[in-house]
Amino acid sequence: MLSPDVVIAVAIGYVGLLFLIAYVSDRQARNDKAAFLRSPFIYTLAISVYCTSWTFYGAVGSAARSGLEYLAIYLGPTLVFIGWWFVLRRLVRISHNQRITSIADLLSSRFGKSSRLAVLITIIAVIGIAPYIALQLKAVTSSLQAIAGVGEFPGRTLRGIDEVGLALAVAAGMALFTILFGTRNVDAKEQHHGVVAAIAFEAIVKLAALLAIGIFVIYAGGGLEAIFSRAEAAGIDIYSTGNFNDRWVAMNVLSAAAILCLPRQFQITVVENSNENHLRTAGWAFPAYLLLMSLFTLPIALFGLTSMPAGANPDMFVLTLPLSAGQEGLALFSFIGGFSSATSMIIVESIALSIMVSNHIVMPIVLRVTQGHGVDSARGVSRLLLNSRRFSIALILLLGFLYFYLTRDSDALAPIGLISFCGVAQFLPAIIAALFWREASLKAATAAVAVGFVVWAWSSFMPSFESSSPLVARIMAEGPWGLGWLRPEALFGVENIDPLVNVVFWSLFLNTATLVVVSLLTSQSALERVQAALFTDLFRRSTTGTPAVIRGSATLEDLYFVAQRVLGVQRAETLFGGMAGSPSPQFIDRLERELAGSIGAASAHVMLSKVVSGDAVSLEEVFEMAGETRQAIAYSQELERTSSELRSTAQKLEEANVQLRAIDTEKDEFLSQVSHEVRTPMTSIRSFSEILLEEQKLTADERRRFVRTIHQESLRLTKLLDDILGMSALDRGERGWDNVPIEAEGSIDRALEVCSALAQQRRMQLSVGSRAPSAMISGEPDRLCQVLINLISNAIKYNDADEPLVEVRSRTGRGRYTIEVQDNGPGIARAERKLIFEKFARGQSGGVTAPAGAGLGLAISRQLIERMNGRLELLPGSGRGACFRITLPLL
Amino acid sequence: MERRKLESAALFLSLLGVLLILPPLAVVFQLERRVFGVPLEVIYLFVCWLGLIAAAFWLGRRLPREPEAEPPSEGEG
Repeated sequence: MLSPDVVIAVAIGYVGLLFLIAYVSDRQARNDKAAFLRSPFIYTLAISVYCTSWTFYGAVGSAARSGLEYLAIYLGPTLVFIGWWFVLRRLVRISHNQRITSIADLLSSRFGKSSRLAVLITIIAVIGIAPYIALQLKAVTSSLQAIAGVGEFPGRTLRGIDEVGLALAVAAGMALFTILFGTRNVDAKEQHHGVVAAIAFEAIVKLAALLAIGIFVIYAGGGLEAIFSRAEAAGIDIYSTGNFNDRWVAMNVLSAAAILCLPRQFQITVVENSNENHLRTAGWAFPAYLLLMSLFTLPIALFGLTSMPAGANPDMFVLTLPLSAGQEGLALFSFIGGFSSATSMIIVESIALSIMVSNHIVMPIVLRVTQGHGVDSARGVSRLLLNSRRFSIALILLLGFLYFYLTRDSDALAPIGLISFCGVAQFLPAIIAALFWREASLKAATAAVAVGFVVWAWSSFMPSFESSSPLVARIMAEGPWGLGWLRPEALFGVENIDPLVNVVFWSLFLNTATLVVVSLLTSQSALERVQAALFTDLFRRSTTGTPAVIRGSATLEDLYFVAQRVLGVQRAETLFGGMAGSPSPQFIDRLERELAGSIGAASAHVMLSKVVSGDAVSLEEVFEMAGETRQAIAYSQELERTSSELRSTAQKLEEANVQLRAIDTEKDEFLSQVSHEVRTPMTSIRSFSEILLEEQKLTADERRRFVRTIHQESLRLTKLLDDILGMSALDRGERGWDNVPIEAEGSIDRALEVCSALAQQRRMQLSVGSRAPSAMISGEPDRLCQVLINLISNAIKYNDADEPLVEVRSRTGRGRYTIEVQDNGPGIARAERKLIFEKFARGQSGGVTAPAGAGLGLAISRQLIERMNGRLELLPGSGRGACFRITLPLL
Repeated sequence: MERRKLESAALFLSLLGVLLILPPLAVVFQLERRVFGVPLEVIYLFVCWLGLIAAAFWLGRRLPREPEAEPPSEGEG
């Protein structure tokens, strides 16, 4: 018979063996001798840390209680590994690129290196895993009791130690063991070759033990057929009726989530992965391992149910079956297998959690409190990290023990494990979004995980204290404050639902909904956008495309100081070897990733940001790089500006076009006018010439009259042609003259004299207003006179008033000489004011019967005055009459 | 097969796996019948499982390898 001393001695010896394996492997790995340690099979075996004592003991218990249900725990992970190409490969790739150290680090890194999110994830993980640790403690305690004799074998108690004391002892031993095992040094990449080797060894031990028990059971039970038949005869439902229901779906979802989200699975599958191609093997070999582990579960359970006394704990069948058959050696092997599965789980889980606690909670606090300068010695940070990890391991096992203590009345193992699964499954939506949805924001991920955690805590975690707390029991029965729809296991009034389905559905549904809605409503920071692009475009960009997030003007010494504190002198020297001058952004980026490998992305970012100044500027650069929005805004502003320019240009063009068209019309009219004017004298000249040639009987008087007419008409023609020629010559700037000092008043007198005859002919008054005494200007007297004659004769010709009046006046003042010609004629319409100075223009209104000019007068006049450095303008007037003003500078 | 087809095959294999083990397909084999003394649905699940493993083995050897997949060498210190 097995004595407790022997069992404990074997257990301790086994632990010593593990320690030896880890030690040797570490040494080999350090000397690069153990290539087999990096083989895909070692990797796969290490992943099977998934199979804990829940698998070893609990699966049989689960199969005995609810048939095929236990298989869902292994089918979910099988599907995830079959599809390794899509999710696991991404996780491994991004974690290598970004030196991710844990699941909290992954999410924090993706969502803008947020420390707060990392803290939240860490806290949830520590709380969520407590039941799982408790499960291992319970399993080891129960197995010790089973093999060393309480229960079915009374009289051989462990010398008065009760269950709680035993569990505490196991917890303390495990804590010590894990601290010795997992925190000997801080690896730059958080890879633990020794641990992985030991875990792989344990995987073989537990598989061999379970297969041995399975083969023993088949042999003892007389073959599969006999076992199933006997069970059916004993009234056991071997067909698992109604097994494929919503609970089956929920368990598959949970286990698939757990294989990704459990901190220890992330640690082994992603962080400890040394080569992405190992996933190729693990993709089929891990499912195969799971298949082997669950191959004999059902026969063992059924054989146990039919052969063991009623009331025997089915969770312990793998131990009690060989014991009751007197196979003590096999029982001891089985105990070691179970012990193996428990120790490997506790070691890896608490290492993974302790990394999270020290990197995401302890380090940021220390950095904040000491402003990054408190830990001065080169080994300081390393020691701080190690101590905080040791403390975390102790804390994690203590929490596990507390949970075990408070819930010790529940007997089955599997439901406890499912609580933990559901807790960590709350990370799943955030992880999937991190990898595939670029728009997922930090606020959304934080809110989503928090919401999922609250629902889980309410509907899954809290109910496990029902037996130890009357308050919880009352809430379970009536809801808080009598609110029935908030009862933990019937949320929102959904009755008759399986408690597991209840919590899985509501927590993941509300979690995902929060993630989606908040992401759509919030915006990402610059850093978040950069990280999101890195994660989601993983396979689209080249590996060198990582943007350097921290840039600035740190000296090499500053950086070296930081590096040696975190990485140690040796590694820092390797990293900085041969560096000179100022560090490049690429180097700072590489350093940040190296540091992230030790203390997590968020802490590394904070630490380097403190050293490297100019972070704010570089964030702007990042914003420029990643800010498609900003670019789009700039682009659209540019477009807007250009289009408004275009609009104004178009408007100007349109105005010019209107003017051009008006001028064109005027020109056409003018040309027909010119033809008409030329034609009229030509006609009379021709007809009078013909009369003179052909009629012989003309009197001399008639003859003279005809010749005079011809002469007059040719003069008119000459004048017209002169005008046109003068016009175009002025246009080309020819026919220049030299401005000389002249007395301008004389020109007015001459013009008045010339025009007085015309005025008399029209029977109108040509009055002279106030006159300047004299005015010396620079100009040409004949031209000035010509302009004045043009203005005065226009005023006379177009005046249709009953008592026509034209007044000419002049004055000097403020260095200027001004002449005004005022009439009381029809005036000039507002629309024509601009046009009258254009060439070929002619006033249209006024019903003038016979315009005598060619319409060039005002245009020529203006050009002439301008040549004298003066201005000719039409005064804006109202009512009848027009007033033209000539302004010339006085000498 | 080409790279894209292999990737598609990997995706469809995963989706097929999901469909195979969930109702309604799984329920189809709950016939209260025994094969070699074992209930048919148990045989069904294990055969599906084995099939998925074999397919994953086949695909794992053929899915494209990328040269830069190898991470930088470890153990610098």
